[in-house]
Amino acid sequence: MSDTAPAPFQTALGALFEARGARRVHAPIIQPADPYLDTAGEALRRRIFLTRGEAGEHLCLRPDFTIPVCLGHVGAGEALPRRYSYCGLVFRQRPSGPGEFFQAGIEDLGEANRATADARALADALAGLAACGVDPAGLDIVLGDQGLFEAFLKALGLPDGWQRRLVRTFGHDGLLDAALNALATGGAGTLERLDPELADLARRREEGALTRTIRTRMEEAGLPPHAGRSPGEVAVRLIEKLAVAEARLDDAPLSLLRQFLAIDCPLGEAGDRLRGLAESADLDLGRAAVFFETRNLALRAAGVDLSSVRYRAAFGRPIDYYTGLVFEARQKGSDETLAGGGRYDRLLTMLGAAAPIPAVGFALWLDRIGAATGQAGEKS
Amino acid sequence: MTVSLAIPSKGRLNEKAIAALAGAGIGVATAENARSYRTVVSGAPGLEVLLLSASEIARELRDGAIDFGITGEDLVRETIAEPDSAVEIVARLGFGHADVVVAVPDAWVDVETMEDLSDVAGSYRARHGRRLRIATKYWRLTQSFFTRLHGIQSYRIVESLGATEGAPAAGSADIIVDITSTGSTLTANHLKILTDGVILKSEACLVRSKTVERDAEDAALMAELAARFG
Repeated sequence: MSDTAPAPFQTALGALFEARGARRVHAPIIQPADPYLDTAGEALRRRIFLTRGEAGEHLCLRPDFTIPVCLGHVGAGEALPRRYSYCGLVFRQRPSGPGEFFQAGIEDLGEANRATADARALADALAGLAACGVDPAGLDIVLGDQGLFEAFLKALGLPDGWQRRLVRTFGHDGLLDAALNALATGGAGTLERLDPELADLARRREEGALTRTIRTRMEEAGLPPHAGRSPGEVAVRLIEKLAVAEARLDDAPLSLLRQFLAIDCPLGEAGDRLRGLAESADLDLGRAAVFFETRNLALRAAGVDLSSVRYRAAFGRPIDYYTGLVFEARQKGSDETLAGGGRYDRLLTMLGAAAPIPAVGFALWLDRIGAATGQAGEKS
Repeated sequence: MTVSLAIPSKGRLNEKAIAALAGAGIGVATAENARSYRTVVSGAPGLEVLLLSASEIARELRDGAIDFGITGEDLVRETIAEPDSAVEIVARLGFGHADVVVAVPDAWVDVETMEDLSDVAGSYRARHGRRLRIATKYWRLTQSFFTRLHGIQSYRIVESLGATEGAPAAGSADIIVDITSTGSTLTANHLKILTDGVILKSEACLVRSKTVERDAEDAALMAELAARFG
């Protein structure tokens, strides 16, 4: 078979994944593209090998395993919880370097104890690297948690619109910084073109009257009713937007937020740092803080040395199905990820699951690992 | 030695391109038979002028099948994945002005900026069970503007090859990315351009392909021709 990973990986990882209770699954190389474009977003379009079938359907060469594994799970209606493992080629267009490479990993679906499942994902990823011959002492491991960021925003009492805006940019340092600066200077400039009559209705929170005006405009434009944004939805958002734009945020919450985002310390010290910051400002991070500590205990129990992992409060992935934990491991001084993973509790429902399914997983980049350990990384 | 240059085969772009070439001392006469795509060139020995469709010109430049082309910058940037390494804009020719813009229904009174749109797109699936849909024929420009510049991930592109501005009323998309010169078509369709929604201010350009390495003689001829537009 041409799409089997180099033998040392196959045997070492195969044994490890099986020992960790993950069932090996396979996925066709040719995949429907819509689930990818729908969940990961259109940004993927230029990075995948996309084609059309005779019937006009979008098809692509498997750019990752997470989505086929999850689709397979939803389709088969398997019982939960369940761990799946995979190993095979993935295909992505890149400006340089080969367009196909090997990935192996585990997707852990339906484990209600999220702390345990999170810890298992990171521990298994590190065990996978070790099984492939990567020296753990040479690794930079960074961990982030979107749940904690969201809890911090909530505790600061920021308006919903601002919370949403900041959460959207989480994991994208440049955009997050731009959003923070925009909040510091206020956003009233965006109201200049607003009809004064509408602005007045919004200021007085006349939702009914606003909705009627907007409905009339939609009808005049011939927009199909019930096909997209409703008049009420537009009205509510306009009211909220005016309230946010015309409220002044004092400097204290922004300064606290910047202090939070600047936290970058060994994971073992993160709990104290977070507690110190929260207490100094009398903030209650609630369940997210408890969960963070519980997960650290679970990580210790799973054999992860917390001093070897860095917690960076601003670390995240700006894809909206990621909801909590994210982590990456790379060799010190390198910018190539050898292992990456995270929690994606929103993905399964996006892919058609009837009820939300907690999910966390990781992928190992076998070619990079091969290069890093001096083993053959290309096809054998 | 021959250097090739393609100009749009029809319409006002064709007339203006011929006028622009005349301004640089290059005469282009189209064949008597209006259906022919061949031309007779004067004033530039070694230059061959071809008539092609504007979008085909961008593709041929990318592939290095022609040396020069006159076409819209929008088509160059949409057709070519890495325009800055594959081609060079020799001159902006001052005609064919049009902006590629993001336009939303004017009944969306709460949406004036890309930031507003980002917020709407971010919660669209939770409210409507699907992504915000954008009708466009400019998927590359759209993707780069939305994702790279504004960090917006959550939307779907609906490929549209004509009458894009009608897509929201037809229910096939929520908003559009399209080209406009006066904005009147957008207004007539009850659409408004976002205040920071101009993706590209496009015009017709003389573009040189950098894809194929030319010998010294051809390169000198190409440099001489390019210099006439300096």
